[in-house]
Amino acid sequence: MHIAEGFLPPAHAIGWTVAAAPFVAHGARAVVTEVRENPESTLLLGAAGAFTFVLSAIKLPSVTGSSSHPTGTGPGAILFRPPVMALLGTVVLLFQALLLAHGGLTTLGANAFAFAVVGPWAGYGAYRLTRAAGAGLLPAVFVGVALADLATYLMTSLQLALAFPDATSGFVGALAKFLAVFALTQVPLAIGEGLLGVLLFRVLTRNARPELERLGVLEPATPTTAGSPL
Amino acid sequence: MRGLAVDEAAWSSAWRGRSPGDKLLLCAGLVGCALVLPAWPGSALVGLTAVGLALGPARVPARTFGRAIRWPLAFILVGAVTAVVSVGDGGIGWAPDAAARAGELAGHALAGSAAVLLLATTTPMSDLLPALRRLRVPAAVVEVAGVTYRLLFVLLESLHTIREAQTARMGWSSVRRSYRSAGLLAAGVLTRSWDRARRLQEGLAGRGMETDLRVLPEVLPSSRAFLATAATGLAGIVALSLLVSGGALA
Repeated sequence: MHIAEGFLPPAHAIGWTVAAAPFVAHGARAVVTEVRENPESTLLLGAAGAFTFVLSAIKLPSVTGSSSHPTGTGPGAILFRPPVMALLGTVVLLFQALLLAHGGLTTLGANAFAFAVVGPWAGYGAYRLTRAAGAGLLPAVFVGVALADLATYLMTSLQLALAFPDATSGFVGALAKFLAVFALTQVPLAIGEGLLGVLLFRVLTRNARPELERLGVLEPATPTTAGSPL
Repeated sequence: MRGLAVDEAAWSSAWRGRSPGDKLLLCAGLVGCALVLPAWPGSALVGLTAVGLALGPARVPARTFGRAIRWPLAFILVGAVTAVVSVGDGGIGWAPDAAARAGELAGHALAGSAAVLLLATTTPMSDLLPALRRLRVPAAVVEVAGVTYRLLFVLLESLHTIREAQTARMGWSSVRRSYRSAGLLAAGVLTRSWDRARRLQEGLAGRGMETDLRVLPEVLPSSRAFLATAATGLAGIVALSLLVSGGALA
């Protein structure tokens, strides 16, 4: 769910761009440092960006009988961390605006704040808290990925409610309206994307364990450790 | 989704050889007009100009343009109707001037979307990325974006191939199987992206890559006639909109 080009009033479009800028700049600095130290990271980060874009092209069955597309930032936040996702998510949004006509250029800041900042941070925070509470990897992935999706949708609804307060009930009424309308598609999608995250990480722990260990998602397996921390 | 129709249109557009800076200035001007001019007649003029230029001189297929605009259209319609519904103690009803406000919102958004789509369907991403360098975006970030752009077509191809194989094995025949297949599909694409990146890195290291990926950008010269026509057209849209609306901005 991206806000379309021209939908936000100019002042809001500028305001959200200013709000997203420090996070994206922080992500850019992290990427510049990483690439300066390890030039080969350019290719891995590019692959991560392409994966996030392509993940949003996978169709998930929807409760309404049709299909919907995941946001892709939840798994990205767990794998690559939120600062990097702030930049990669913004790059993906730019590509979605110019290759798929999803979102826009003046609304890039608002969409980046919801999709590349709030979603990844909320999802990653929930994932870390769930792991810290003693849950295994897969339950934490479900919570993290579903919450990243839900947080993106909540933030977008909030942005729309701020831009278009209800004539009678103001901001609160407008927020309730946008939450209710987009909940029809976004809540089932969040659950679906959480399930997709679980299935994705279940396969990755079997087929790509060294990569998950290198990214810090899994503890390196020691010969004395029996079983996986799933 | 095998390729990306908008990208294919951009590569085969009659405006492919025009300077990306020229097209960026024209489309940015149209987006600005769509945003600040009154919806009537400003948005209508911007929308008609963008569609006319895309389907006319730029020779973008009408089918590609029409299919691409469907996505923002769905959001715009749902968003505009929701914005003008009023919720209060008396229940749900229409806000004062609901039709005018919804039309205004939809007008700004549709015109802006058409202007962005004009840029998207005439300018490949690989032409636009060097422009980010001129906007002082760090070289490392532009390089990551460039690799993302090049890899996503490889991954989309992988996605399609894996999905085709899963479909042939009844992998998408029920909701349960569809979720299982979607998980395997995502994991397959991710591991392939890592594998591709590793092989690319090994290949480039073997060719002496030490710091950055150096490529020769294609230089497309700016056209004064194009810029003059664009500026005249934009000034005409602004003047006509202000004249008809009595000088008020949106």
